[in-house]
Amino acid sequence: MPEVATRELTFAQAIREALAEEMRRDSRVCVFGEDVAEAGTPFKVLSGLVDEFGAERVMDTPISEAGFTGMGVGAAMTGLRPVVDIMFGDFLTLTMDQMVNQAAKVHYMSGGTWKVPMVLRTTLGATRRSAAQHSQSLHAWLSHVPGLKVVMPSTPYDAKGLLKTAIRDENPVVFFEDKMMYKQKGPVPEEDYTIPLGVADVKREGEDITIVATSSMVQVALGAAELLEKIGVSAEVIDPRTTWPLDEKTLIESAKRTSRAMVVDEGYGRYGVTGEIASVIAEGAFYNLEAPVKRMGAMHVPIPFSPPLEDVTVPTEQTLFEAARALCGKG
Amino acid sequence: MAISVVMPALEMAQETGKLLAWRKKEGERVTKGEPLLEIETDKAVVEVEAPGDGVLAGITADVGAVVPVGQTIAWLVAPGEKPPAMAVTTTPAARASASPERTSAATAVQATEQRVEAAPQISPKARRLAKELGVDISKIRGTGPDRTITSEDVQSLADGKGAAAPVGVQPLSQVARLMAERTMQSWTSVPHFFLVRDVDCGELIEAQKRFSQEMERMPGVAPTITDLLIGLLAKVLAKHPRMNASWSPEGIRSNPEINVSVAMAVKDGVVGAVIHRANTAKIAEISTLRRELTERARAGRLRPADITGGTFTLSNLGMYKVDAFSAIITPPQAAILAVGSISERVLPVDGKPGIRPMMTMTLSSDHRVVDGARAAEFLSGLADAIREPEKLL
Repeated sequence: MPEVATRELTFAQAIREALAEEMRRDSRVCVFGEDVAEAGTPFKVLSGLVDEFGAERVMDTPISEAGFTGMGVGAAMTGLRPVVDIMFGDFLTLTMDQMVNQAAKVHYMSGGTWKVPMVLRTTLGATRRSAAQHSQSLHAWLSHVPGLKVVMPSTPYDAKGLLKTAIRDENPVVFFEDKMMYKQKGPVPEEDYTIPLGVADVKREGEDITIVATSSMVQVALGAAELLEKIGVSAEVIDPRTTWPLDEKTLIESAKRTSRAMVVDEGYGRYGVTGEIASVIAEGAFYNLEAPVKRMGAMHVPIPFSPPLEDVTVPTEQTLFEAARALCGKG
Repeated sequence: MAISVVMPALEMAQETGKLLAWRKKEGERVTKGEPLLEIETDKAVVEVEAPGDGVLAGITADVGAVVPVGQTIAWLVAPGEKPPAMAVTTTPAARASASPERTSAATAVQATEQRVEAAPQISPKARRLAKELGVDISKIRGTGPDRTITSEDVQSLADGKGAAAPVGVQPLSQVARLMAERTMQSWTSVPHFFLVRDVDCGELIEAQKRFSQEMERMPGVAPTITDLLIGLLAKVLAKHPRMNASWSPEGIRSNPEINVSVAMAVKDGVVGAVIHRANTAKIAEISTLRRELTERARAGRLRPADITGGTFTLSNLGMYKVDAFSAIITPPQAAILAVGSISERVLPVDGKPGIRPMMTMTLSSDHRVVDGARAAEFLSGLADAIREPEKLL
């Protein structure tokens, strides 16, 4: 992180700043989605953007995710650099044909003649009391598809740098923001910077166990690492920042050094991102591992509306701490 | 046809045997009954005899290897014949000179007991490190979760820090560990009850003196009180077959033979050396055999038959001046007799205080096999026999 980064922004402000900077920099960049203009999205991420760039570049759409995502794909193919806003990640289901069969395939199927330089921004994360259809973390779905890049920032600094890179990328990029993290503050430099896709970030250095955490789980992992420190376990926390491209080398090298690894992610544990990353580590670091690679994801249930029930469906500092402690043989 | 040589099961709960030496070389001719290999079990070092005639071939176990019981480690083949492919490796029972006393029921018990202790887990990193450092992983005590062997355990063994035991903790030898596990298992799963009885040993001492005089000219024979007790016990057991029976989950198994196991101290523990068919043996035979067993036990070279097939155990701590004690049963046996020292005590003799050489016997019995009355009848019969040993011996 640059030394001058003393200014603090919220996660939402960092996203908005990245968008504004890229829109000023490149007139082809435009935003559309539900309630993105005057409302500035229900999470107020885009507040004020329409005032600077007008309703032609910050455009409200009808409630039709399939329709306006297809519009985004077409706009990208024909020369714009759209940033499509899908309010809740749960609504990705409606965009699947456009993303999986069109956006991801066009460049390949046209022999490189067409490209789809679009960004689809959406949200993930539970514990907002939004019930089963507004609380899912479906990033594994898109990470599974060749032709799509998937970004999952965990800090305001990463959010801004990664979003700018995503907008400048010539390929379709899906950008997941944790809806519970929008008010989280962190240092963000004022000058222009970008962060390359496919480069993991070591959020905390440690010796005894590697905790790979994504998006909403990075702060959870850092909290668990503090608890582990108190019992003499030094945990390294690594944020891959993008599930594809995936910085396999950094993950494997860390696991080789600590010889124990856990992967924590808010998506469903089964057939999920944790399984993929754990497998990468197991294959790459097997002969340096003291224990099986442990996964923690969301419980395999529709997210309950009941707050006490919802809270137990996702990993917490305490559950992560307990699992890590057991893995290290300290419990 | 090729005959497989398997790692024999020499005792009820043996899971592995360590190959100490091959007495024959690959390609050498052997005849049935010749010593073929030497193994170390949890309790003893034993010689294993060739199960048949043939040429030794297809050796798969190196000296020092710890091999699961029942696994084929070599073949005896006809000259020119090739050993079979190693797919056929599981012959459950011991084929070498293991005890003929083993019954199918005993094998079943063994099979269930074997589940208790699985091979320890070792982490991939530790396994690689052990290979690199040339460390024998069978010597490592795991300190990870579920006793998994970690690379730290391997490293500390390689660094000469012993079997990775915490500071101040003595790592257990095989014999000590087995003793701990078996006594724990017996004490926590066998419903013990205890009967105590004092017995006048005047006549027993006289009998011992007489036998000693009779056998003076016989080399190496000097019957002890223990020898006489073995003989008497065996004769009395013949009249109380239930005390000589064994517990099994299917029911009570009567044992056709009376094999008295004598508890003997060895380094790090205790072992039951067996006098087979003690009820038909003469005192001189019992004495000779018991002495041989004692010597082999001290040297750690007991043979398979020496420690298998016991049906009743005698434990004598008289030589340590112990007055009385309660012993732990050796499953699947039904009982164990603990005897203390013979000492002069004042007690009424014909209405007046008299001094008699007395001994306290404590009989521990498995209540699933015998009840109090039945055990009391046996103990009474034994006391009678000790008071009048000449009647039986």
